[in-house]
Amino acid sequence: MKKEKTKQAKTKAEVEEVVLDIPEDEIWTYQIEGLAPPKIGVSYADAKGKKAAFIIFISVAVCLSLFFSVRALLNTGDLEYKEIKSGEYELVQFSNNGLIKSFDVEYAAEIDNSKIDAGAMIAGGAENEEEINMDFLSYDKARPITTIHEYAFNCDSTLQVINIGAGVTDIDCKAFYSCWALQCIYVDEGNPNYCDVDGVLYNKDKTEIICYPIDHDKYLRKELGYTDLVDDNGNPMEELWGPTEKYDEGFFQQYNEDVRTYVIPSTVKKIGPLCFNYANIDTYYLPDGLKEIGTLAFFDCGNMHNIYSYIPAADGVSETRFKGREGLGGIYLSLPESLEIIGSDAFTKDRGLSYMYIPANVKQIGHHAFWDSVYKDKNDENGNNLRGITQMNIAASEEDFKTYEIGSSWRPKYDYLLFKKTIDTVYNAEREAIPD
Amino acid sequence: MSNLKGKVKWLFGEIKEHWNTPAEGKYVPYKEYKDIWLAVGSNYSGSKTLEYVFFGAGCFLIMYHYKLPYVVFSAIALINMPLQKLWDILGWIINDNLGFMPKKTERKLYSVYFLSILIGVFLILFPFEPYLNPSNAVVAALNSIRGISAASAIKILGTHILWNGWAGARGIFWRKKLIPKFGRYKYFLYSDVIPKCIMVILIGWLPVYNIADEVTRVWVANLLFAIYCLYNFGNCLENCAQNISPNMQERILIRTYPIKLSHILNSIMVVVIPIAIGFTRDEWADINVFRYVIPIIFITFAAMTMIFSRRIKERIPQPPLEEKVQIKFWDGIFGVLRNKYKWVLTIVYLLDSLGNGMLAFTTVLYLYTFRLSGLAYGLIVSLVSFAGTPPDLCTPYFIKRFTYKQIMIFYQLTRAIGWSIVVATILLCGDNVTLCGIICLVVLILLEATHTIPTSVGHDMDIRINDYQMYLSGERLEAFSGIFGWITGPISAVVGLIIPILLLKFGFNSNWDVLFVDMSRVKIIVIPILFDICGFLLMTIPYFFWDYDSSKQNQVIQVLKRRAEVTEKKAEAEGESVAGSFTG
Repeated sequence: MKKEKTKQAKTKAEVEEVVLDIPEDEIWTYQIEGLAPPKIGVSYADAKGKKAAFIIFISVAVCLSLFFSVRALLNTGDLEYKEIKSGEYELVQFSNNGLIKSFDVEYAAEIDNSKIDAGAMIAGGAENEEEINMDFLSYDKARPITTIHEYAFNCDSTLQVINIGAGVTDIDCKAFYSCWALQCIYVDEGNPNYCDVDGVLYNKDKTEIICYPIDHDKYLRKELGYTDLVDDNGNPMEELWGPTEKYDEGFFQQYNEDVRTYVIPSTVKKIGPLCFNYANIDTYYLPDGLKEIGTLAFFDCGNMHNIYSYIPAADGVSETRFKGREGLGGIYLSLPESLEIIGSDAFTKDRGLSYMYIPANVKQIGHHAFWDSVYKDKNDENGNNLRGITQMNIAASEEDFKTYEIGSSWRPKYDYLLFKKTIDTVYNAEREAIPD
Repeated sequence: MSNLKGKVKWLFGEIKEHWNTPAEGKYVPYKEYKDIWLAVGSNYSGSKTLEYVFFGAGCFLIMYHYKLPYVVFSAIALINMPLQKLWDILGWIINDNLGFMPKKTERKLYSVYFLSILIGVFLILFPFEPYLNPSNAVVAALNSIRGISAASAIKILGTHILWNGWAGARGIFWRKKLIPKFGRYKYFLYSDVIPKCIMVILIGWLPVYNIADEVTRVWVANLLFAIYCLYNFGNCLENCAQNISPNMQERILIRTYPIKLSHILNSIMVVVIPIAIGFTRDEWADINVFRYVIPIIFITFAAMTMIFSRRIKERIPQPPLEEKVQIKFWDGIFGVLRNKYKWVLTIVYLLDSLGNGMLAFTTVLYLYTFRLSGLAYGLIVSLVSFAGTPPDLCTPYFIKRFTYKQIMIFYQLTRAIGWSIVVATILLCGDNVTLCGIICLVVLILLEATHTIPTSVGHDMDIRINDYQMYLSGERLEAFSGIFGWITGPISAVVGLIIPILLLKFGFNSNWDVLFVDMSRVKIIVIPILFDICGFLLMTIPYFFWDYDSSKQNQVIQVLKRRAEVTEKKAEAEGESVAGSFTG
């Protein structure tokens, strides 16, 4: 064995070239200086202790891995509460086992798995609520709930009704985010901070509407007798999206007025953040007196086609179901004159709207307030015609408007060549009259 | 000027002279550089295109069409975890013996795999629902997980068993058939490319996402994606090209120039794909992206890959396949555990897992902060990814000037600093979308610029470690290195669940629209990045123990060459086959 240095290293990284001379009979055993010796074709038959230690170590590692992972994962399926003050609890996370369609937020609840009916869990839950024995859910009266945490009911697709107790005094506006099947939120009459109007959540004095449940229209269909809808082939149909052979234009209009029209009471000054997101409503009547539309308030309301404002009569309007325009006083198109603030993403993805008027009192508009509410209709025979809000009508002059607090990219943009183009803006605009 | 002219003239003459035959001391003719450029470019672009299709919350197909709860991916990983250990062991033995095992062992393995296929099919098809007692603790626990039920968990387990049985049997069969002909790195392209193309088409066209019941949708989607993943179109030609020469300097040259240039094709695709997607009605949310855009692009690259891949040769100094060292289970296990440098990198990867489960920051920044789409999206993505290309062309210089240890420590520190700036920006000026976005973008560009050289170094470290392993054990034992994953598994499994659970608390579930909520988006981005920053700082420590320098690597290669030379001579003297041998 011999080594020959042929070059001196100049930098730390440069190769110090060493030429090795390895005899044929040492090719499998030759050890390089500074490295471990090779071990090839050497039996490990005698290394029983090493093997045992290795097997034990690996077994423990795998078991621990499973244990911690299972524990962490199952924690996501709990009803989680946190004591925030002595004797007061916060609902941090509600997780549905696929059976809970109605849930009370008054005392901390617990699920007793041993009481769940066999068969109820098949395919993720029974369709008919009456079939489910809810005995597995018990409430601990020693732990009253006062607060509902943000995203406590996030992305639930089973829960239909939430009953809020008298002691719940603080509800985060994001608490019911993406509860796809939620039809009603009922509030105990004794609650000092909140109330409900026909299953829609408001603050106590009804100056703020907080949450319109995403599937509230399903509840209205049930209430108003639209449960037996069928398509032209006689197949059951949950919703009506337009006139059919069986249901004419008049029927569809009535359906829309009954189920998909919402009148916000005249007391309301603020539409809360995320309030109507994903709501299946065609027409809104907003009170002249409304000051603020919260962030994401009408996010992804693709079925929204009309916004009207009304000037309430002296005795006000408290009925949220639409009974005809007569009871609403004076009506005009688009947002109310009293409006001052439009939150960020307030009308994002609302492609059903075709007219928007920003009243003179609006001094603050959040970023991306009307994002993605215009689009090119690629199915249109005449080419890529613009649909949605194609022009922004602003009551203020351009000079005045520039002094307001306006977020970036607040106006809608549409695909133009390979980039995006902002829709046109008309300043000093006059509000359009309601079409006949 | 004349100096530059002279250099260009010399380079031209050099390329012309060694177009078909390599220069002395080198192994790769320049003609093969061209082939590497085209083949790796196609293979890399094809595999990158497939990154749009995977079974995870971040896939747009899952996000917009399947709408699966975020937690099911962790749950499925957990259901599959225990049995995976068995498959790992079997796979290691087959892989590191390159499919060449004693007949008896081969028969046993085939029996296990075929039996697994039968069991898997039975578990998937048999209706277990009526036989499961919901009050049983395990059943109740499984039922409580969103998107999973006890019955569907059995089907998910069945899918796992079926998949592994099928993959294992294919693995032995195709290795034996194809490795002698195509080498160890690219053989699977020849068996997998056609079924992969079919699965890419089926993924978009099978309307599994229309299944109304969430639990059924989860297990059927899992089955579909499992079959899709059975066929590999990984970036194998790049691996092959990275091992293309026993000459270390030549390896770096190839990695720096033809391989790096081959990535330009993908840089173009990074722009082209979003533009193509922009023409669909609902852009990223349009199912036609997965029915037309992805399949057409992928199949084109797959065809190009197959045309050029044959021209790339594998040149690892190794004995003939018939003469190679037989690796038994314990040889493999103790062999890799003796490799000190594998321990160093294992600890690094373990610390890196601190950021596991976080959402891709760039996706959130581009789509939810900037609301980019179409060409604008493509341009920014390619601008950021291009930022790494110019520094990468200087990789040979940096490798000559600095040690691997210095480069990797510098890399971790730059990442920690860069991400700290991102966090500070989001927290301090998050309200100003434009300013915040520009600062984040500049940091991303700088991070990318400091990313490519360490990445090249990292790849070379892996290859050097494998060379060293071959010196230690007579084989590269790339598969047996999976044992390190077992050791670190418990920690990374727990650590990897921290961020998803935190994200769940911050509102991130199956509905990505939550990222439009400013406050939630900040939490969803910032908290996981803080974990990542801690990881980067800690990752500097193991690199202080890296002392495998170029001199040692040079000596290892000499030993490997000598072994190949002696065994080939012996095989020839005995009249045996020398297939697979390369003496350098």
